[in-house]
Formats: sequence, C-alpha cells, structure tokens
Amino acid sequence: MIRFLRSRPYAFALVLFAALLIANIALQPSFAAPSNWPETLAIFAPFAIAALASTPAIMSGGGGIDISIGPLMTVIDMVIVAILLPHGLGAPWVVVPLCLAIGAAVGAINGMLVTALRFQPVVATLCMNFILTGLATQIEGGSTPQGSTWWTNDLANSFGPVPGGLISLAVVLAIWFALSRTAYLRNLYATGGDDATSFSAGVDVTRVRILAYTAGGLFAGVGGLALMAVLREGEASDATMYTLVALAAVALGGTAFTGKRGSFIGTLFGAGCMYLITNVLSVAHVPDTWTDAVYGGLLLFAVIFSAGLANATQARTA
Amino acid sequence: MPSSPSDPPAGPAGPAGPVALSVTGLAKSFGPTVALRSCTAEFRAGEVHAIMGENGSGKSTLVKILTGVHRPDAGTLVISGADGRPAPAAWPRNPGAAIRAGIMAVFQEVLVVGSRPVLENAWLGADSVLGQHLPEPGKRARAAAVFAELLGTDINLDAPASALPLSQQQACAIARVLLREPRVLILDEATSALDVATRDRLFAAIRRRRAKGMSTLFISHRMDEIGEIADRVTVLRSGESVGTLDRAEARPERLVTLMTGADHLAGGKAAHQRLDRPASAECVLRVRAVRLRPDAAPVSLELHAGEVVGLAGLEGHGQDDFLRALWEGDAGGRVLRVTGTTQTPIRSSRHAAGLGVGYVPRDRRGESLFAPLSVLENFGAVTSRADRRFGLLSHAARRARLARYRESLGVRMGKPTDLITTLSGGNQQKVIIARWLAREPRILLLNDPTRGIDLGAKRDIYALLDKLAASGVAVVMLSTEVDEHVELMDRVLVFREGTVGAVMERAELSRAALVSAFFGQEAPA
Repeated sequence: MIRFLRSRPYAFALVLFAALLIANIALQPSFAAPSNWPETLAIFAPFAIAALASTPAIMSGGGGIDISIGPLMTVIDMVIVAILLPHGLGAPWVVVPLCLAIGAAVGAINGMLVTALRFQPVVATLCMNFILTGLATQIEGGSTPQGSTWWTNDLANSFGPVPGGLISLAVVLAIWFALSRTAYLRNLYATGGDDATSFSAGVDVTRVRILAYTAGGLFAGVGGLALMAVLREGEASDATMYTLVALAAVALGGTAFTGKRGSFIGTLFGAGCMYLITNVLSVAHVPDTWTDAVYGGLLLFAVIFSAGLANATQARTA
Repeated sequence: MPSSPSDPPAGPAGPAGPVALSVTGLAKSFGPTVALRSCTAEFRAGEVHAIMGENGSGKSTLVKILTGVHRPDAGTLVISGADGRPAPAAWPRNPGAAIRAGIMAVFQEVLVVGSRPVLENAWLGADSVLGQHLPEPGKRARAAAVFAELLGTDINLDAPASALPLSQQQACAIARVLLREPRVLILDEATSALDVATRDRLFAAIRRRRAKGMSTLFISHRMDEIGEIADRVTVLRSGESVGTLDRAEARPERLVTLMTGADHLAGGKAAHQRLDRPASAECVLRVRAVRLRPDAAPVSLELHAGEVVGLAGLEGHGQDDFLRALWEGDAGGRVLRVTGTTQTPIRSSRHAAGLGVGYVPRDRRGESLFAPLSVLENFGAVTSRADRRFGLLSHAARRARLARYRESLGVRMGKPTDLITTLSGGNQQKVIIARWLAREPRILLLNDPTRGIDLGAKRDIYALLDKLAASGVAVVMLSTEVDEHVELMDRVLVFREGTVGAVMERAELSRAALVSAFFGQEAPA
C-alpha cells in the first residue's frame, strides 16, 4: 500500500480525494444520492477538463505551460451561444466538430509559437490568453448572449441514465487512452523527462511538443462545450475564471511543472479534490468572507504536501 | 545471451570492407574560434577506427557534425547507400536524420531519461511521434538480448533508468544504439562510464558486429583501449587531420608526436619572458585528500605563495571539480586556507572570498558577467563597499579604482559607462579579473581564463599572472591548452579519471610529456 502510494505521482491526490469524498458525504449525506450526480458532474466537468487540458503542455517539459485554456473554453462557449445557435446551427454534428477544430487549432498555434518560434511558453500563451479574452468580449457585444438546445441541456443533465458531465469527461479520457495506445505518450514522457537526451536519440521533440499543445486545445474544445451546456450563456468576464485554479489542480495531481514527472489521471483527482474542498467549505457553513482564504490555505497545504511526497519518492529512487 | 564459439577473434579484422562513411575538407568555426580547420577521414565497413587528439583538436566537433548537431561550414560527406555503394550525401539536419542514415553515437555524458523505464530508454526515438514501428513483445525480447550481451546478466527492464548504477545507465544508452543496428557506430569517450567487465563485453559486441560490416568510430583517452580494439587511428591536431596510421604503426610515441606536432617540441619554453618568482615556503592553501569521485584516489595539494599551479588533463577528468572544491570547500572540511599558523576549512565560496580567495569562472556569460550592465558596474560588483562615501555609492570613487586596473591590465575600452558586452572577449575577461584583483586576493583561482580570447589579450593575462605571482599571490589555473601549461606554470597537476595522474615540475614540462600524461603514458624519450 505504502509502496503503491509512493511510486505513483498522483497518490497523494487520490488519498486526499477519497478523504474529502467521505467528509462531504458525512457532512451532507444527500451528496451521494444518485439524483444529485448529474448536476454535480455537470458543474465539475468544465473545471476538470480545463485542468486536464492544461496538463499535456506542462508534461512536455522545457517550461511548457498553457495559460490560454480558460479563455479558449470561454470563446468556444461564446461561439456556440452567440453565433451558432442564433443562426440555427445547433445540430451536434455541426457544433461538436467545429468546437473541437477551433480548440485544436488554437492549441497548435500555441505549440508552434513555443517550438518553432521559441517563445517562452508562459509569454506565448499569455498573449493568446489576451487575444482570446479580447475576442470573447467582441463576440459578447453589449448584452450577455444566452441559448441552449436539446442536446446541450442533456449534456448539463443526463442522457438517459448517464450523466452528461460524465460523457464530456469520458471523451477527454478516451482520447488520452487512445494516445496511450500509440507511441505518443512515451515520447511525451521522454521529452518532458529529458529533452536533450530525447533529441539526441532521434525523438522529434518539436512535433511532440506541438502535439501536446494541440491535444490541450482539443480538450479545451470539449471543455468549452461542457461549459456552454452548464452556463447556457456566454460572458467574457468568465474567461480567466479557470486559468489559475486549473494549474493548481495539475500541481495537486502530482505533475511537476518541470515536466519530469506527471500524470493525466492525477490531474483528474487534483481537480476532484479542489471541487470537494469548495463543497465542504460551503456545507460546513464557513462564512462567505472566509471561504477564499481557507480555500487558498488548504490548497497551499495540499500542494506543498503533494510536492514533498513526490520529492521524497524521487530522492529515494534517484 | 549470444554464445561465444562463433565470436570472431580478438585481434584486428581482416582486410576491411568498402567505405562506410568518409568526410573531406571538413571545416567549422564558432564565431572567431576555429574548431575544425580541415578534417579528412575515411571510415570503412568492418573496421574500428580510433580518433585521437588533445583538447580542442576537433574530435567532439567532428562527432557533432556527423550526428547532425552542427552544420559544417565546408566539406563533403559520402555515405554508403543501401546497395553498399558510397554516394555523396547531405549533412544530417538533426540527430534523428543522422540515425536514419545509420550514424549513431554514444557520448561520455550518460544520456538516459532517468524517470522512464529501462525498456523505454533502450527504444527511445525508435518510434515516430505517434506510430510504433515494432510490436511491444518483440521490443522486449530484443532489448533483453542486447542487455544480456552487454551486461552478462538479466536486467529489470521496467525499473526506472535512474535506479541503475552509472555503468548500467551507460549500457542503456549503448543498447539504444545497438538495437537500431548502426552502419557507423560512434563511441565518443563512451567507455569512460563503463566498468571494466562491461567494457570488455562491449568490445566483444563490437567485434561481432564488425565482422558483419559495422564501422566503428572510436574516441577514448585510454591508449590501452585503442591498442586493444582499433584497426586504424586518425590523429587530429588543431582541427586538422594530420595522419591515419594502421594498427601496426600506431605506437604510443608515434601517436603522441603526431598529436603534439613535432615542430612544437623544440621551442615553446622560452616563448614567454618570465619574471623571477621568489622561492617561498609559505603555504597558503592546503588540500588534504579530497576525493573527487567515490572510486578515484584522493587528491592532496600544498599551494605556496607566489607559485602558479596548472590543472591539466583531457576535459572532464576531474580538474573542474578540483578547482570548484578549492573555491567552495568540501563537505569534509579538507580544503584549508592557511595563514601563518592558523588553518581555516573553507565552507563556501562566500567564505573563501572572505579569506582572500578570488575565482574567475570559465563561462563568462553565465557565471561572471552582468551582460546588461556597464564596464564600471561589472568591475565594482563585488567591491561596492570600497566606493562608499557617507553611506552612498560614489561613482567617482569607482571610476578612480577602475582606472588603476585599466592601466595595469591594459584593458582596451571606451567609456567606463559603456556596456560590458561592447568589449572584446579578452577585455571582458580582464575586467572580470580586475573585479577580483580589487579585493586584493592572496589566492587567485582561474578556470580556463584565456578560452576564446585573442593572442594579444592572452599575453596580457600571462604577464599579469606573472606579476601577481611575483608579488606573492598564489595562482591556480585550469587550462585546456597544453602550451599555456608549458609556458606559464611552476607545477602542473595532470588529472586522469577523477584523480591526479601525474605531477610535473617546471623542468619536466613539455608538450609531449603533458599529452602523454593525458593519455596515461610515460613521456617519450
């Protein structure tokens, strides 16, 4: 058990997630009721996907990071409610491919800026962050556009017995699983672990990194859909909502920002922990004025502990 | 593990095959520094071809060009094609392209991704970005076979590479190359990280592949290794290929003569007019058995006031670590600053500076220069206190201080407020040295201070060090240039494999003796 926990980068997030889940259910038994799942998952999905979408760029090493994920999701949300739906283009076979394509394209541009043009990842994606936030404001115009259609309502609730949030999460995880059946993830881990060694062994480090940002953008496309489904409106001021908390979830999930160590599944648990911390604070009736400070403090503790555990593991195996 | 009865004999191969790879007129400069002037060599299928040369002779540059890291300025490449016929080829654009052309290298620096399993390290780079070129079970079996060949035992293919001892990590890097069946295998000091048994198994593996037509380009600092496995030897000197010898001709004396250049042997010593240095018994720094590597013998040193001690050797043999230990101290407190009868263990670089030690690092840009600041600010960086007037910094005071050193060091510069980067490399280095001299150190440590600077500036620095020594400062200087040791030093420690392989006094110093010592040989008679 101990060995299992020490050998996985996401061990701490997993244990914390389990503990928080128990705490939530103890404080609020209805939290576990199946009737609450669709709503819980629909709110959780966009946040978790934002965190998952931030992960590949970080894992690709070389100071990789993508802080344009949040605004990208907002732009996609906005494109659906302010452009596609009013023009009667609400069919899923129009909306879904278009959103994924926008996401992947923006991700690919980020990847090229970082690799081919050698911009600092944090600077390149900050510029993209500004551009996308600006675009979102443009599209928003004077009033807050609103809209939804049958399948996005289902996505915010459930398709038959299956919660919609679960489906958007599953799509992202399935794409990652598919990548894990190719050589790609091994190339990504190797590039993040030691880019000079990978380069000298013949790994196409540039393309591995571009693909990491592209995958992040693609996931942000899914996240934008999940966000639109639950909000049913588009507000440009939401654009930066997820940027930093998504990165905190990645760190909590045991992924090192150096790229040397990381896991996709850890980010999912990290995001889960953060969601549950927020929830536990609200059901424990922590006064609103204190919520942010307590949340920040808990998060700090969790991130420090997670990093400490991971470092201890590394020192042992090094 | 492959059985041995079919192994080819240990001796040289028979008549070597057709040309596997040849380079002609290869040249490469980095800014003003010429790394390769004109290199011509021919590597045949089925031979082990050693490349020898002292520091800066161009060995590494040659390897980096062949593996697609650098693009040459001039020269042509011929590679044998799929039909075995040599044909002109384009220079590989990156390591991936070189590997696809069958040219694969293992380096002195152990290149593994520590966090990933051994199996992935062995096949690193073999797949494209998405596609797998070999099914997983086949990969595992072939990797296991190569590891058995190299290590003589099984290895846990799923353990992270960082969990292995260094020798096995290097075996990982070698396995990675062997698995992809190179036509030209390059071993650039790759054997230095291997234990003896693994090295012997590597040589056996190379002989097996040599019999099947693999060409090996072998770089090693060990004369015995070259004698054991090389069929031919090409010697590089100052970026030029100066000769290729067959196995029978490649006796150590002959190789040393080629490496040092016979024309240098006679003169050299008198080139620099030395000031008389007073013989002094005053010990200023004592090193008591510092161990640079766990498996190497410890190093001791008594440094006297007014002497200039050189640290020499092929690059990466411990001289850098030793100089760093003098500057930062060592964990066991075995580096002692001696003043009169008191001995103080040096605890840190800050502590050393307080005890009158100065250090001029090798990497000007990274370790000593403040590129965005002016000459004046760079000069005064560590001695701001001296410029205080009523608690505030006085620029006039700093200018006055700089003016003194500007003259005595012959710094050629414009205004003191010009950016340091507007000066030439040699003058930048003088400003850095002046920065330390302003603290009036009793011991000055320099790490290859004349690297990449012009001859005039070198002469100025030599003269300065001479003056310093005459005034009683003890100087320890690491240099990669053999001539510098011959000219300047009272005593030279030659490092080999993490310890001092030879100590030479002034009277014994010659290019041939030093280069011989680099390769662990006695000086030629």
